[in-house]
Amino acid sequence: MTRTPYPSPATRRQFLALSGGVLAATGLAAAGCSAPDDGASTADPAGASAGSRTLTRIGLDYPFTQLPLYSTLVKLSTAAAKKHDVSLLTTSDASNPDTQATNLATWVTQKIPAIVSFPMVFEATEATAKRALDAGLIWVTYGGSLEHQSADIQFSFLEGGTLLGEAAAKWANEELGGKGKIAFLTDSTIQLGRERTKGMIDAFTKNAPGVDVVAREQAIDPDTGLSKSRAVLAKHPDLNLILGVTDAAAYGGFKALQQTGRKATDAKTFVGGQDGAAPSLLAVKKGTFYRASAALAPKDIANAVVDVPLAVAAGKANPSVQVPITLVGRGDTARIDDLLAQNS
Amino acid sequence: MTTATTAPTNRLTPGPRALAGGGLNSVRRNPLLVVLALMVLVFQLTTGSFLDPGNLRGIAIDAATLAIVAVPLALLVISGYLDLSVGSTLAVGGLVAGWFAGQQHQSPVVAVLGALAAGAAVGAVNGILCCYLGLSAFIVTLGMLTAVRGLAQQLFPLPLSSFGSGFAWLGGSRIAGIDAPVVIAVLVLVAGALFLALTPAGRHVFAIGVNREAAYLSGINIRRTPFALFVVTGVAAALAGAIKASVLDSVVAGTSGAGFELTVLTAVLLGGVALTGGSGSVFGVLLGVLFLGCLQNGLTLLSVPTFWQQMAQGTALVAGAALAYFGPRLTR
Repeated sequence: MTRTPYPSPATRRQFLALSGGVLAATGLAAAGCSAPDDGASTADPAGASAGSRTLTRIGLDYPFTQLPLYSTLVKLSTAAAKKHDVSLLTTSDASNPDTQATNLATWVTQKIPAIVSFPMVFEATEATAKRALDAGLIWVTYGGSLEHQSADIQFSFLEGGTLLGEAAAKWANEELGGKGKIAFLTDSTIQLGRERTKGMIDAFTKNAPGVDVVAREQAIDPDTGLSKSRAVLAKHPDLNLILGVTDAAAYGGFKALQQTGRKATDAKTFVGGQDGAAPSLLAVKKGTFYRASAALAPKDIANAVVDVPLAVAAGKANPSVQVPITLVGRGDTARIDDLLAQNS
Repeated sequence: MTTATTAPTNRLTPGPRALAGGGLNSVRRNPLLVVLALMVLVFQLTTGSFLDPGNLRGIAIDAATLAIVAVPLALLVISGYLDLSVGSTLAVGGLVAGWFAGQQHQSPVVAVLGALAAGAAVGAVNGILCCYLGLSAFIVTLGMLTAVRGLAQQLFPLPLSSFGSGFAWLGGSRIAGIDAPVVIAVLVLVAGALFLALTPAGRHVFAIGVNREAAYLSGINIRRTPFALFVVTGVAAALAGAIKASVLDSVVAGTSGAGFELTVLTAVLLGGVALTGGSGSVFGVLLGVLFLGCLQNGLTLLSVPTFWQQMAQGTALVAGAALAYFGPRLTR
C-alpha cells in the first residue's frame, strides 16, 4: 500500500460537504426572509388596484450603497413608508451601473408597483423606465428626470455647488480682500459630481476672480482628499481655501491643513464641502475653519421617496418635488443639530 | 599631503570595490530603483518642490500605511498565497478602533488592541480556509473582501468621528521628529526583512512558495507558516486602518480602504515579488511602495488633469513592471 505524505484532501471533502449543507440552510433561510410579505402582493402584480391605485410596495433603488446616506435614507424611508402601510424594498447596486440595470430589470419583471430610482447613467436607464411605464408601473426618477417617468424627485446639485462657491467667494472677499489661493477637490466621474463641481467652481471664480486657483484635483473620499491636499500644500503652503465636491473629500483637506500646522480656528482659512456629512457638520458646529456644507436633509428626501409615488398613485397633478439644498454655516446650530439627529 | 588609508581587514566588512559591486548588483536586482530615482529627478526638476521636506513628509505618511500592509502581504505572496481582503480588513480595523475610542471612550491602547484582534480574526478565517482546508486563496479572500465590507457596513452604517486627542497620537504624533506612522512602517519593514533573512521560518516561506510538496517532504510545516502570515496580514491591515482613522479622526464603513487591496498588491508586485510565489524581497516591496507614493504625489504637484493622471499611472506601472521583469535579463 502506498501512502501519500502530502496532506490528504479528505478534510477538504468533509469541509465541502459541511459547507454545502450550511449554504443550503442559509439559502433556505434567506429565501424565507425575502419571501413576499403576503400573497396579495404577489397575486396583484402591480400591487395597486386600477381604481384606487393603493400602493402596498415601493421599491427604492439608491445605487451608492457605500455612502452613509444610503443607510440613513433606507431607515427614514422605511419609517415614512410604514406610516402609509407601505413596505419599502431596496436594491443593492454597490455603485455599479450594470448591477443597477439588472436589479431594475428584475423589479420591472416582478412588477413592483412603484419604483423610485436614482440612475447612475440616466441615458442607460431610459429603456428600463419605459418598460416599467408600459407595464403599468409607477416610475419616479430620483436626482434628475427621464423622458419616460411618472414623476421625479429633483435636487439641484448644481445649486448645491453654487451655494458653496458663492459663500466661499463672499468669505474670501471679506476676509482676504479678494486675494488668496484656493484648491478644488472635484469629481468628474458621475453626473452628480460634474454638476456639483461646475456649480462650485463657476460660482467661486465668478464672485472672487482675484483668488488664484492653484489646483483642481479629483477626490471624493477623505483618504484621497487628505493626500491630494497634502501635495497641494507642499507646493502652496499659503493655501487659503479648499472646497470639496463632497464633505468627505473636504474633510480630508481639513485634516491635511491641520497636519501642516494650521490651527483649527485659523481666521484666514476656509474649508467647505457638500452633503451635510456628520463629521463635517460637527467641525462646522465647533467653530473650526471648516466653515460650510451644502446639505440635503435626509428626512426631506425620505418623505419624498414615499410621498411622490403615493401622489402619482392618487392621481394628483404635478406630483414631482424639488428637495431643497441649504448651506449650513457656523451660526446654524439648530439646523446642524437637526441634521445630525437625522443622521444618527 | 596624502594620507594612507587602511582597508578594513574584517572579512565581514566589504571593501569599496565590493560595496560598488554590491550596489551594482542591487541595481541589477531592483531596476525599479533606477526608475524611482529618475522619476524623483524629473518631478524635482519640473515642480521645484518635490524634494521639499514638507512634501517628502507627506509622501512618507501616505506610504506608511501601504508599507505596513505590503510587507506581510509580500511574505504571504512569496509563500504562494494571496490576500485580497485587506481593504475591507483595513476598514474593520479603523471602525473597531474608532468605535472603542470614540463611542466607548476607551483608551487608545484598548482601541488599537481591539482593531488588531478584529484583523487577526479576519486573517485567521482566511488562514483556516486556505491553509488547513485547502480552498483557493484567490476565491476565499475575494469572498472575504465582500463579506467583511458588508459586515462592516451592517455594524457601522454611519460614519464614526471625533475619537479624542489620545487616539490622535497614533497618526499625528512624532517620535524623534519622525511621524509615528512612518516609524511603525520602518519597524514593520525591518522586522519583515530580518524575518525573511535570518529566521528558519523566513526560509520556509520561500521553500513553501517554490514547491509546497517538496517543502512538506523536507519536514516543513506547510500550513502553520502561511496561516500565521494570513493572521499577521490581517493584523497589519487592521493596524493600518486604525492609523488612517486616527489621521482622519473619522472613518466610513463603505469607503474606507475601498480599492486598497489592488494598490497594495500593485506595490508588492512592482517590488518584484512573484505572484506565483517563491521569490521577492522586502527591499523590493519598499521600492514598490515608494514608487506608487512618489508617482501619485508628483502627478498632483504637476496638476496633471484627472484622466491623464490615471493614464500616466497605468502606463508607469506597466513600464515599471516590464523593467522589473526584463531589467535583470538585459544586464546579465
